[in-house]
Amino acid sequence: MKSFARAALAAALLVAASPFAGPAAAQGTIKFGALYPFSGGLALLGDESFRGFELAVEERNAAGGIDGKKIEYIKGDAVDPNQAVGEARRLTSVDKVSAIFGTYSSSLSLAATQVTELAGVPYFELGAVSDPITERGFKYVFRTNATARDFAVRMVDSVIEAIAPALGVKPADLKVGIIHEDSLYGQTVSGYQKTRAKEKGLNVVEVLPYSAKSVDLTPVILRLKSAGVDVVLQTSYQNDTVLFFRQMKDQGYKPKAVMGAGGGYSTRDTMMAVGAENMEGALDVDFTQYNTNPKATPGLTEFVGKYKAKYGIDPRSGHSLANYMGAKVFFDAIAAAKSTDADKVRAAVMKVDIPVGETATGWGAKFSEQGQNTRAQPFLMQWQGGNLVTVFPEAAAVAKMKVGVGAN
Amino acid sequence: MSLHDSSLKATPTAPTPGGLSVLSRLTDPRVYCALIALSLLVIIPAWSGSTFMVHVFVTICVFGALSTAWNILGGYAGQLSLGHTVFYGLGGYTAALLLTHFGLSPWIGMIAGAALAALVSLGIGYPCFRLRGPFFSLATIAFLEVVRLLSIHFNGVTGGSAGLVVPLQIGWPWMIFRDKINYLYIAFGLLVLSLAVSYAIRHSRLGYSLTAVRERDSAAQAAGININGVKLWAMAISAALTALVGTFHAMYMTFLEPATLFSLATAIEIAMFALIGGLGTVAGPLLGTVLVVPLAELARGWLGASANGLHGFVYGSVLVIITLTLPGGLVGTFGPFVVRLIDRLPGGGRTRADVVAPATKIITGTPGEVVLKAQNLVKRFGGLTATDNVSLTLKRGEILGVIGPNGAGKTTVFAQLSGFLTPNAGTIEILGPDGKWHQPSAPDAFARLGIGRTFQIVQPFGKLSVLENIMIGAFLRHRSVDDARAVALRVARLMGLDDVKDVEAGTLPIGGLKRLEVARTLATEPSILLLDEVMAGQSQSDTLKMVELIRAIRDTGVTVIAIEHNMQAIMSLSDRIVVIDSGKVIAEGKPDAVVRERRVIEAYLGEDFVDAQGL
Amino acid sequence: MDVLIQLVLNGILLGSMYAIISVGLTLIFGIVRVVNFAHGEFLMVGMYAAYLLAAKFGLHPYASAIPVVLLLFALGALVQRFLIQPLLSADEHIQIFATVGLSTALVNLALLLFGADLYSVPPSAAQGSVQVAGFTLVKGQIVMFVCALALVAGLHLFMQSTALGRAIRATAQNRNAALLMGVKVDKIYVIAFGMGAACVGLASALVMPLYPVTPTIGTYFVLTAFVVVVLGGMRSMYGAFFGAMIIGLVDSLSGYYIAPDLKEVVYFALFLLILIFKPTGLFGLGRGTE
Repeated sequence: MKSFARAALAAALLVAASPFAGPAAAQGTIKFGALYPFSGGLALLGDESFRGFELAVEERNAAGGIDGKKIEYIKGDAVDPNQAVGEARRLTSVDKVSAIFGTYSSSLSLAATQVTELAGVPYFELGAVSDPITERGFKYVFRTNATARDFAVRMVDSVIEAIAPALGVKPADLKVGIIHEDSLYGQTVSGYQKTRAKEKGLNVVEVLPYSAKSVDLTPVILRLKSAGVDVVLQTSYQNDTVLFFRQMKDQGYKPKAVMGAGGGYSTRDTMMAVGAENMEGALDVDFTQYNTNPKATPGLTEFVGKYKAKYGIDPRSGHSLANYMGAKVFFDAIAAAKSTDADKVRAAVMKVDIPVGETATGWGAKFSEQGQNTRAQPFLMQWQGGNLVTVFPEAAAVAKMKVGVGAN
Repeated sequence: MSLHDSSLKATPTAPTPGGLSVLSRLTDPRVYCALIALSLLVIIPAWSGSTFMVHVFVTICVFGALSTAWNILGGYAGQLSLGHTVFYGLGGYTAALLLTHFGLSPWIGMIAGAALAALVSLGIGYPCFRLRGPFFSLATIAFLEVVRLLSIHFNGVTGGSAGLVVPLQIGWPWMIFRDKINYLYIAFGLLVLSLAVSYAIRHSRLGYSLTAVRERDSAAQAAGININGVKLWAMAISAALTALVGTFHAMYMTFLEPATLFSLATAIEIAMFALIGGLGTVAGPLLGTVLVVPLAELARGWLGASANGLHGFVYGSVLVIITLTLPGGLVGTFGPFVVRLIDRLPGGGRTRADVVAPATKIITGTPGEVVLKAQNLVKRFGGLTATDNVSLTLKRGEILGVIGPNGAGKTTVFAQLSGFLTPNAGTIEILGPDGKWHQPSAPDAFARLGIGRTFQIVQPFGKLSVLENIMIGAFLRHRSVDDARAVALRVARLMGLDDVKDVEAGTLPIGGLKRLEVARTLATEPSILLLDEVMAGQSQSDTLKMVELIRAIRDTGVTVIAIEHNMQAIMSLSDRIVVIDSGKVIAEGKPDAVVRERRVIEAYLGEDFVDAQGL
Repeated sequence: MDVLIQLVLNGILLGSMYAIISVGLTLIFGIVRVVNFAHGEFLMVGMYAAYLLAAKFGLHPYASAIPVVLLLFALGALVQRFLIQPLLSADEHIQIFATVGLSTALVNLALLLFGADLYSVPPSAAQGSVQVAGFTLVKGQIVMFVCALALVAGLHLFMQSTALGRAIRATAQNRNAALLMGVKVDKIYVIAFGMGAACVGLASALVMPLYPVTPTIGTYFVLTAFVVVVLGGMRSMYGAFFGAMIIGLVDSLSGYYIAPDLKEVVYFALFLLILIFKPTGLFGLGRGTE
């Protein structure tokens, strides 16, 4: 009786698994996996990231595909590392994809790439920022986007190159405070901030981690206030960004500059909850956003147009753009390889050489031995009048950086 | 695993394969059906040849093993831990850290992790077991949160939130494989190990003790069970198994982060699988996992991307519906029915061969020597002095009657003589079997020294069968299940309970419960028997039988001390009478002398009247 | 010194927020003897209701307190009647699972209806702050402090001087005796659970101006609420109130003087110590182990 039930269940599983597998690959198609968190807590930005990939595929297929073969993709839904492992296994073994694209979340990417590397299938990371993804000596993992270290470096360097001159002081005279939520994202970025600040001789007076679920950041703010911190570098999600800005105002703490590392700093929701006047002047280092000089980002405007046409709304964050750009770079590389053989693809990726300013994100593409794009840099942006505008690098800037935070 | 062990409710034909050879046990349909069903967990994915199927079944095995391990504590012992991923994470991190820092094989790390988890579990369990129900659950959640936050804070050691990546060294020593089926072998092995441990515990003295503690801790203590001791065993075993699985799963994912390894959501999920399958059953947790994991996978596939949250909503709702409609879980509800079906298969329906009961412990010692000395006992409750300077001595082989009006403090004295209450002043000394005097401190220690007590308000283990109730007592002197069962059968016959032996104890009428109370106590083979109003609620003929029985027990060398309101019975039975009123001993002596004492008559003036009405 | 005073003031105000969230939990546990693991999700439901009232009808969250309180009363009463009541005689296990299941279902229902985005009401005066002798007090938190005091005082009066209050107290003390005295215990439980939920409704209307709502907002508060209730001795409203103040202070001070990411560790450690060594709560006002 029980064995029947289990056999039936197994059968159901097999049947259910088959729609995933899709119709048998028709002649003249090339199959990729798209591994993102489509459900669970990361679903919103996971889906946003996927849209960029999807648009890149459609564009490519309309232009004749890769080597005349249409691109077909199979979605993999990863909500946690165990699922990421499972879905990566499914894509590489059941669906026998030629490569996997993903992933948005670093922990999912770390888990999934361990699988694909053993399977010898190329993995193209288009959005996760954790540096170790391309520091493990893997042969078939490549990443187009900037990493946590790039974020941290850009933030610290902006203090030296942009904020200090604007304030008319020496960088070493500024007191810097680093605060961050304590999950993977915050801990990673702040770690590199500390290292970079030390290298550059910045005076970091406070490093304060806190839980993203905190309901009170007053102690953090009072610590910054008592230490007389001039520049706050925050790595945060939405809730804690909102809380920080509200309570900073309550406690009358007015640092000379506040800079976030994407996350909560880049979303409109945050600005609405905090209020445009309170968010005014807040700096943000992130992937390329949409208020960027189109001359430095060829294809950006077209991307937004395609996005709106397909989904009926403006892009919800820069993740779709970064994934779009990355997918295009790798499609070209695979086309150049004229094969889906992993080693040939690797050789082709290594030959990619796109100068900065010639992609939709404004990044270039040149890969290190480890598979990391060395020409991807996050941009510096600022909230001005309720809009997040790019202020650095010069070529991509649409506005001048202003000094001061909030309506004061 | 077969279902036959799974239901606490006794089935009318309750055979177990005890006493049969291993080979002949294989022809029992319960055994072969269980083995066939279990082996499908390997056969299906191996036959399908798909590594995705392998992954799904690895996940089933992992969660089945976790849930089975959890059930040892949560189901058998009734301690609802919602922080069990502490041990899972400890297993994972211990192995991963030993691997990355010292290059030790995860197999060694697995053992180290299990040992560490067992130690930590003792540290958590020892203070927390005094907490009841939801507070224990809350404490385990708090421990989980503290460990998670600390593992994030001390990122120099653990890698913090950024996580720890396991180096990809391939091969059995490193538990990382190119051929994924190997993962399944290990996961399946862990599952089988958990099930085997769980099965062995369920059918051992420890398992019965845990069930007894879960059902009613006072009666368990009276049966000589060290409550905290058995719970700590359960927790340590459960934690160690959980850690083993944790190590494997970390090596499987090759990536560790606090959010995944110390996840509250996973901890709740593990408990949920057990609840859906059937708490406290061997097969339940696995069954729950086998049903829910694939369904969740499918639901995510079908619903996931389009309707974010729908799958979780369905999950939560199913949990609520299960609690409302099937509180016994699948196995608890349908188990007996399925077992009956299985028993119709070839070779089924066999009944067990009875084992000859081992000889009753012979009580040695000189009749008439003092075996218990209570001196100057004082017990106060707030302003009330319930026991006021009471001294008692018991001589071997006598029957001492304790009488007194309601509320006189007789039961309070009993509670002190059996260790359930600690006197504020005074000492209790008991002559042990070793011929030395002891001053035990806990009820179970009293029981082990040979004090057997019944409770005035009956304390049956309601969900166990009558026979199992008696077995709990018998386990005090007999480690093996077969012996305990045989002893319990003998006692059941003695107490006239053999025709109801398979009935759930909670359904007995009060007279039966009183006899069960005595039976469970007798099964502990006490040398001193404390009977608290065992004749109340018995029919006239049963009372006569009980009087006969007490005499017979005394004749085997047992010393009896009985509180009784049935004056006729107690007077005819007792060698000596102690009268207690307002917490004091007001008279002591031969029955016929005591009843003539003026103070006794005074104390009893109203009492007789009440007795006449009540009995 | 100034910082210390500011931290203490913040701690007390933060404590009043915890108090107002925890009173309902205490009430439910004290009377119905059920630990409601879905308590945080009640708060979440209340906050979404307040948000919707603000977004659709332009109601200020404080004005929406009345409909939200009524809604939550109804929700609580329904939960008691159809979920807890059938399980009253069941194992504690089952009750825990039932409320845990309810919690999971509600979080995901919110995710389904509202998505993972955060919603906040338009900025209002409640977000502003006042300066008293050089120290900053957030107006919305002062309102919470006053409301928490008023709520505890009001419940006290209600319990002491109304017939229903006395029936509730009798039921809380001894269910069977109350049953014998002709109290309709089941009905009392429905009312009590409803009242506990209604308190959370009030809390959500007060919290809404200060915190944006997301499906998981309940988890931000619920563990703290449990800590508060245990600290206060499980059943005592006054205990919960003072327990909340202590947690507020611990939160505020340890966040500053120890480390912001360890403040949860500090109060969870406190929670465990209290549970283990003084299960009657800090003030000996209740019992945790009976």
